[in-house]
Amino acid sequence: MDLTPVLSGFAVVFEPQNLLYCLLGVTLGMLVGVLPGLGPAATIAILLPITYGIEPAAAVILLAGIFYGAQYGGTITSVLLRLPGEASTVVSALDGYQMARKGRAGSALGIAAIGSFIGGTASIILLTLIAPLVADFALQFGPAEYTLLALIGIFMVATLSSGSLVKSVAAAGVGLLLATVGLDPMVGTPRFTFGSDQLADGIDFVIVAMGLFGVGEILYNLEHRLRPQPAVLSFGRAIPTRLEWLQSRLAVLRGSVVGFVLGVLPGGGATMSSLVAYAVEKRAAKDPSRFGKGAIEGVAGPESANNAAATSSFIPLLTLGVPANATMAVLFGALLLQGIPPGPQLIVDHPDVFWGVVNSMYVGNIFLLLLSIPLIGVFVRLLRVRAAILAPLTVLITMVGVYSIRNNVFDMFLVVALGLLGYGMKKLGFEPGPFVLAFVLGELLESSFRRSMRLFEGDFTGFVQRPVSASLVALLVLTVVVVPALRAIRGRQAAQVEHDVATPSPDGGLAVASTRSEE
Amino acid sequence: MAANGVPAQANGVPPEADGVPPEVERPATEPPGEELPPGGPVLATVAGVVPVLTGLVAFWLARGLGLGTLTDPGPGLWPTIVAVLLVVSGAAIVARARRTTDTEAFTRGTGVVLVGAASLALYAFLFELVGFEIPTVLVLVLWLRFFGRESWRTTALVSLLTTAALYALFITALGVPLPHLIVI
Repeated sequence: MDLTPVLSGFAVVFEPQNLLYCLLGVTLGMLVGVLPGLGPAATIAILLPITYGIEPAAAVILLAGIFYGAQYGGTITSVLLRLPGEASTVVSALDGYQMARKGRAGSALGIAAIGSFIGGTASIILLTLIAPLVADFALQFGPAEYTLLALIGIFMVATLSSGSLVKSVAAAGVGLLLATVGLDPMVGTPRFTFGSDQLADGIDFVIVAMGLFGVGEILYNLEHRLRPQPAVLSFGRAIPTRLEWLQSRLAVLRGSVVGFVLGVLPGGGATMSSLVAYAVEKRAAKDPSRFGKGAIEGVAGPESANNAAATSSFIPLLTLGVPANATMAVLFGALLLQGIPPGPQLIVDHPDVFWGVVNSMYVGNIFLLLLSIPLIGVFVRLLRVRAAILAPLTVLITMVGVYSIRNNVFDMFLVVALGLLGYGMKKLGFEPGPFVLAFVLGELLESSFRRSMRLFEGDFTGFVQRPVSASLVALLVLTVVVVPALRAIRGRQAAQVEHDVATPSPDGGLAVASTRSEE
Repeated sequence: MAANGVPAQANGVPPEADGVPPEVERPATEPPGEELPPGGPVLATVAGVVPVLTGLVAFWLARGLGLGTLTDPGPGLWPTIVAVLLVVSGAAIVARARRTTDTEAFTRGTGVVLVGAASLALYAFLFELVGFEIPTVLVLVLWLRFFGRESWRTTALVSLLTTAALYALFITALGVPLPHLIVI
């Protein structure tokens, strides 16, 4: 493997301004991780217009930092308040909060930070080794392969997201439909524009992301407002003891592996990997009954996993151009905005962006370790910031940001309408993730489908006649069978966790036992 | 889903049970105002009817675009495929509406959401007419004072600081030509 581009990527990272953007990104990530409400996808969407003018490598370094930084920050509220800041840290609330109640919050936060650091770093090394191979392989992909890849991506995200299967498919359908607004990609006929010039160029992805994730989330939280100030459990230094480290080092290792593998899968990502890592730890433990009562492995495993997954989920985006989860879909939009189409060409055509971003994650993880061990007190104090003040600030940054893209008021109306759509979807139990992902992949899917049909002269069997596309068809069929099975298992685990988090029991362990017997 | 039989919001155990002071235990177990009642079967049906209707409208509009053939797909073919997907998935949602519990009832808080969205639409409307400063302050006052029940002092302080910060960020730092009244 040629190391020259990898090394010159470090040169990009150590440019002072890129170091600064990296620090800014991970700090923002920690912040949104700590503050419940806005997730990393929403934050990245809101910041897209602001990164417009920044250099591509710097912009993606900043936005990527928000994503993996949020995985660190979400732990803090899980452990101290049992209010997970991010979905991927829900499972850490189980044992983390119990540890905090026993006065071991510092140990829980410390091991979470160290585990996250190790998981994240190991994942970057694996990414460095694997990504070029995947990209190289993907260079031979034609329209048929891209049709299938996009289908697999949408299907897996739809099935693995937390909502119900049919609803995710319907949400993806609406996303695909919205993607067709504008001029037909092949022949230029206006579609669904209702005679409006504003819609003739189609709907900008940034506006969809800002509307659904940004305004939609804020409106949704408005209905859940006036939450009382939570009481924060106190703790000393965020550092585990030697014994605790020895106890949890294998959990960190196992979590990193689970996270890396699941993160690569579309729809796998951080949340799923943290749940699986928890299950793995429980199974591996000599005395599983300690789990739910403050077992440190129950924090170390999932926290290492969610960070490893956050990192490895960059692989499909940067090598195939297929985002693996909602946040990656927003980053897909960010790359497009910068004029860099994500795909197998990226690593060859823009090595500075690719390796700059990948290598910046080493530095970002070091920053995060510093932020979450010595400086953790600063972030804990932020828990006192009221949501009532944050909501109008974020909504106004969104509105002004939307205007700044094209200096166009129409876009502001569009973002409010999409925000209402996002709110309605959440109320009716539809996840915005599959919608946004389908919107992003819609054009790729349609044009590769149409090109393939021309190539195969209308014969669907063409898809199975090329070796690579045939194996992708097999993969698609496999996911149709395997994924619902996985989903059933995960659904049970998620319900279990949700139930355990929601139900306090005298010693934490009883809740698990009692639900078992009910089933 | 419903088959799991585990209600998502079960918090039956009184917080005092293990001698932990209630004020420590309470926020994590049941943040009041956080849990909205689930929607009934009507709402669950609506969740399926909307995609079906969207699909039907798209189907009808796409027919006018020209389907073409499979060998040479026209502009309407892809939207038609998506429309069929929508109708089928929507019908499936309706079919299992009775068993789903993942919707959330619309409460009085929904009114606040609609007012909030309307305030943003008004913001967009006034934006180019009178510059961004006055609408910004108005939205902040509405959201802070009336939605957030902050004190007038906090409201005034946050509103002015935010407007100044937006000015500094977008106009001064990023050079975006926002319509504005105050020229520095």
